[in-house]
Amino acid sequence: MRPFPKISSALLTALAFGAFPASGDYLQDVKPVLTRHCVACHGADQQKAGLRLDTAEALRKGGDSGPGIVPKSSGQSLAIQVIEGAHDSISRMPYKKPPLAHEELDAIRAWIDEGAPAPANEAPGRFVHWAFVPPVRETPPDIAAHPIDAFIRDRLARENIEPSPEADPITLLRRLHLDLTGLPPTPGEVDSYLGDSRPEAYERRVDQLLQSPHHGERWARWWLDVARYADSNGYSIDAPRSLWPWRDWVIRAFHEDKPFDTFIVEQLAGDLLPDATLDQRIATGFHRNTQINQEGGIDPEQFRIESIIDRVNTTGTAFLGLTVGCAQCHDHKFDPISQREYFQLFAFLNNQDEPTLPIPTPEQQAARDWHDTRVRRLEAELKALTADTGNPPAGESFGKTEAPAASADASSGAAKDAQDTNTAPDPARIRSELKRLQRSRPGVDTTLVLVEREKPRESYVFIKGDFTRRGPDVTPATPAVLHPSRFPEGRLPTRLDLARWIVDPANPLTARVTVNRVWQQYFGRGLVETENDFGTQGIPPTHPRLLDWLATELIREKWSLHALHRLIVTSATYRQSSHVRPDLANRDANNRLLARQNRLRLDAEIIRDVALAASGKLDRTVGGPGVYPPQPAGVMNLGQSRREWLVSDGGDRYRRGLYTFFWRATPHPALAVFDAPDAFSACTRRLRSNTPLQALTLLNDAAFVELAGALAERITREAPPEGRIDLGFRLCLARSPSPTERARLQDLVRAEARDFGEPLAWQSLARVLLNLDETITRE
Amino acid sequence: MTPPQGTPSSLASVTRRHFFSRCSIGLGSVALASLLDRTGAHALSGATSHPLAPRAGHLPARAKNVIFLFMAGGPSQLELFDYKPRLQELNGQAIPDSYLEGKRFAFMDSSFKNKSTLLASRRAFKRHGASGMWVSELFPHTARIVDDVTFIRSCATDVFNHAPAKLFMNTGSSQFGRPSMGAWVTYGIGSDADNLPGFVVLQSGPRGPRGGAVNWGSGFLPTTFQGVPLRAQGEPILNLTTPDGISSQRQRRTIDAVRDLNLQRLVETGDPEITTRIAAYEMAYRMQTSAPEAIDLRGESDATLALYGADRGTPSFARNCLLARRLVERGVRFIQLYHTNWDSHGGPGENLENDFEKVCREVDQGQAALVKDLKSRGLLEDTLVVWGGEFGRTPMGESREKTGRNHHIDAFTMWVAGAGVKAGAIIGETDELGFGPVRERVHVHDLHATLLHLLGLDHKRLTFRFQGRDFRLTDVHGEIVTPLLA
Repeated sequence: MRPFPKISSALLTALAFGAFPASGDYLQDVKPVLTRHCVACHGADQQKAGLRLDTAEALRKGGDSGPGIVPKSSGQSLAIQVIEGAHDSISRMPYKKPPLAHEELDAIRAWIDEGAPAPANEAPGRFVHWAFVPPVRETPPDIAAHPIDAFIRDRLARENIEPSPEADPITLLRRLHLDLTGLPPTPGEVDSYLGDSRPEAYERRVDQLLQSPHHGERWARWWLDVARYADSNGYSIDAPRSLWPWRDWVIRAFHEDKPFDTFIVEQLAGDLLPDATLDQRIATGFHRNTQINQEGGIDPEQFRIESIIDRVNTTGTAFLGLTVGCAQCHDHKFDPISQREYFQLFAFLNNQDEPTLPIPTPEQQAARDWHDTRVRRLEAELKALTADTGNPPAGESFGKTEAPAASADASSGAAKDAQDTNTAPDPARIRSELKRLQRSRPGVDTTLVLVEREKPRESYVFIKGDFTRRGPDVTPATPAVLHPSRFPEGRLPTRLDLARWIVDPANPLTARVTVNRVWQQYFGRGLVETENDFGTQGIPPTHPRLLDWLATELIREKWSLHALHRLIVTSATYRQSSHVRPDLANRDANNRLLARQNRLRLDAEIIRDVALAASGKLDRTVGGPGVYPPQPAGVMNLGQSRREWLVSDGGDRYRRGLYTFFWRATPHPALAVFDAPDAFSACTRRLRSNTPLQALTLLNDAAFVELAGALAERITREAPPEGRIDLGFRLCLARSPSPTERARLQDLVRAEARDFGEPLAWQSLARVLLNLDETITRE
Repeated sequence: MTPPQGTPSSLASVTRRHFFSRCSIGLGSVALASLLDRTGAHALSGATSHPLAPRAGHLPARAKNVIFLFMAGGPSQLELFDYKPRLQELNGQAIPDSYLEGKRFAFMDSSFKNKSTLLASRRAFKRHGASGMWVSELFPHTARIVDDVTFIRSCATDVFNHAPAKLFMNTGSSQFGRPSMGAWVTYGIGSDADNLPGFVVLQSGPRGPRGGAVNWGSGFLPTTFQGVPLRAQGEPILNLTTPDGISSQRQRRTIDAVRDLNLQRLVETGDPEITTRIAAYEMAYRMQTSAPEAIDLRGESDATLALYGADRGTPSFARNCLLARRLVERGVRFIQLYHTNWDSHGGPGENLENDFEKVCREVDQGQAALVKDLKSRGLLEDTLVVWGGEFGRTPMGESREKTGRNHHIDAFTMWVAGAGVKAGAIIGETDELGFGPVRERVHVHDLHATLLHLLGLDHKRLTFRFQGRDFRLTDVHGEIVTPLLA
């Protein structure tokens, strides 16, 4: 902890609010406060309660409730009473927002008590929402410190709060592994870390973990939430779909540290990039995560439009952190986005076809080529045989049949073909063979993509958001409140133009929204708590200068998320202990100022991963189609269409939670119960509930019981009896038990061994360990 | 340090000492004190951090519990409650264009290839009870409870496909991802059941309701509030049963050890979430006993079973009605029964002839018995029973294999009975064809507002902030249906 000098309250205020002392100077100290907190509702645009507060004169004059101030008597001034929340009939202002800081209130009081001198010819204060102004990079307050710590500790110092000490090394290492890869460190990984006495052991571990493909998996899940990824079509029929190649593309992108701006552009418009690669086309699967309604009796156009609306809203949420969806039916009530502008965004996203893209593996391609060759040969044979009679060949679905039966390109199947055709040529037999072949054409992997249409669809405003009510025509354009677009003239802008506008460094939102959501993963809450609303109804950042510094740093680092991860996890702020601080219960109970880390319950998938890793069952295969780990009987009956859940064999039974096949209508219960998102709309922050059904899952679910059994076998195999409690503990929690904990577990094992025999005692031990709060928590 | 011998009380005293010396301000100390004072298995439910703890709403409550009988598929009001002699006269004639202007229907192509004609109901109707409510011959038992019931013949909804319409009836929105009314209610006022979930779902009929679990989902509310399906056979709740080969003694020992180690961690970290987790494990353990007990009908008399037309072992809607009463007795706040299939288009298994008779028979006795049984036990005063589907059916017929009607959103009948609502009243009236309401239209949002009101919740104040907006069950709509209130 650096020394904290005794300083005057005026200096404190100066530190708190940039550069001005609380002298009560109107232009310097009062007007900025009013503009920041009051003018949105009491200014040129709106005059709630007949009141404007954008000039000193207007404040004096007041509104429906009388004059705003009584010069020289702040105590009698209505404005002060209302801001303090001391008025009988008027709610505390700013309404439903955090109260003004003491320093701000003091400045207004001081100014009133000095007689409320006002400048002549004052220009009305104009409210500009912070998030619509580009971030400004300030030099961190302490250039010797880690930049994050400089900003965080500067703020803590102003509140006279000391940060917490660093977490103990094992807790910190487990935190780091879980945050960067979603897997706990193995005992070996703990030992090698503790045994590394060279400088920068921690930093080296950070770099190792960032290089791990498991890092790609862990952070891919973060993005899949935003993208509303699932393996089924949703709505009531909820048929399966194949979009996992897109999911794997995301894993690769995070593994390879694809610059985040490129990541965004490829997802929104990979197909429109010059000479688009296969990967760039796969990337457009991002917006194919919309649901598809296959119910009878529906109007398909209605649901095509629903999906475009979902894409517009998701684009707003995912990249801009704005609730643009509010403007679907009416001009946005709070943010400066009109309904017309909403449909101008809609127009960018309304011009695509939505095909399924075959992406065969080389083996699949070979199998299919061989099959098609055979079909062509048989068709040719049949044609030759029936040419005289004039009978048309049965089923001609594979294009021109120019390939001669004995052509040189006949593949390795030629011998088998020769056998098949050994008997005398018989048209009926060939026809039936063709029929069989047409049913058994080898499948290939596919994924869902977007492809731009040659001719754009017409787009227009839907009156009140109702697609049957046609309003004025619109063409693609971006909202005026944000940075200007520099679209080429002479043609309509495309999705690619939109994507490039989103990642334009002049965009005040994208980088801020991104760093905030990454920050949220590490601390449980963003610097902007309303991570999906950077608009005027959102909560302003707790650390605006840090947010801006990080946003500009992301751009400076060429949108490298690895650099951002490294920056955050190497800060002392991240490395602090997460123990609750009794001394802060009244001052910062919710830990907004980050004088400590937060304990965070693990995500649903990672709870599974921890049990898999501890038991030694984890199959570390990366990518591929969704898998079917065990789940309780009867889950699939809950949907409208009863679908099968055939439990995967072999390693697929033990894959990471992120690969569990996700049916939107009937998600795997162990995922849903731990708050995995429902994939109906973009999820930018998971809830962390804490329920009896979670307890039942960890205690009784067959998958967890099986893993407890495997953990018991593992510790029995790998340690002598006296070492098993410690080994089990370390496999689940990385640390060793305290003497009290060890004694309590010894009691359990002793009692269980006495009553049920030793093997079952280890099973009980394993069940206890997998059920501990700490096991499913990142401390 | 001396091992605590595994006894909760000795550990608790160690814990208490540490706790009060180290972090007495860090937590709600009252909650922890009560947690540590009562270390028996039962006591931990007292932890105040439990999100389902019962609490007062915004207003005095008239109802404590809700049983919602959801007739999935959209029952035809014209065959059951909305008697239309004029429809008999105009049978087979085209519906006047004035009724159809600007309307959209499901299956628009098939319905309107040949302009559909009006279809008379072939069911005999009679007036019943002091209210003189018309009820058809298909509901003989229900006809006998009309004086305990208020019928709403003028219900209206916004959407005409099953899944979105069911969502709309349940969540006030046809978009997936919003909380259902049971979730909103338990979010608002918790539940009196401390060993069962606060919101329970029971299902019967040939298939699950369209849309599945989203109908009782918690949307953006914490999953604590989502409906928990109680299955009629086998394990009543997923993962409720202690795994094979693990005795209840071993289960208890496991939970005790988990609790003691969690308490240790609580002392170490001061994180109140651990208190909640300990309480959750205790409730889970109690549920393992109480949920099977709740669905075990051995204690019900033969007379009661005969009243419902249920038998102890066979799953049925009637049995679910009886289970609903038992759940109310155990303090469960919101119980929803789904019964399929009411989707009477006229196709196979879905006609308005024998198929409709069958589904009517499946529900009639049980639903009437439920109201009677609740009343005779004094439970109807605190319990609101609601009956209805996601929409109704058109006065026009559909030309499929057999007689049927299409989905209809402008007017359909629901009924309510019990706590806080009038007994024996009729609300709303439709035009002579039963196409639209002519007075007292009750929209789904109004129904929701009223339901919340009866439970002591102000639908405009029961909000949850999500994606930058304060969401409500009633969106930006909803008027309390005052003629309904007792």
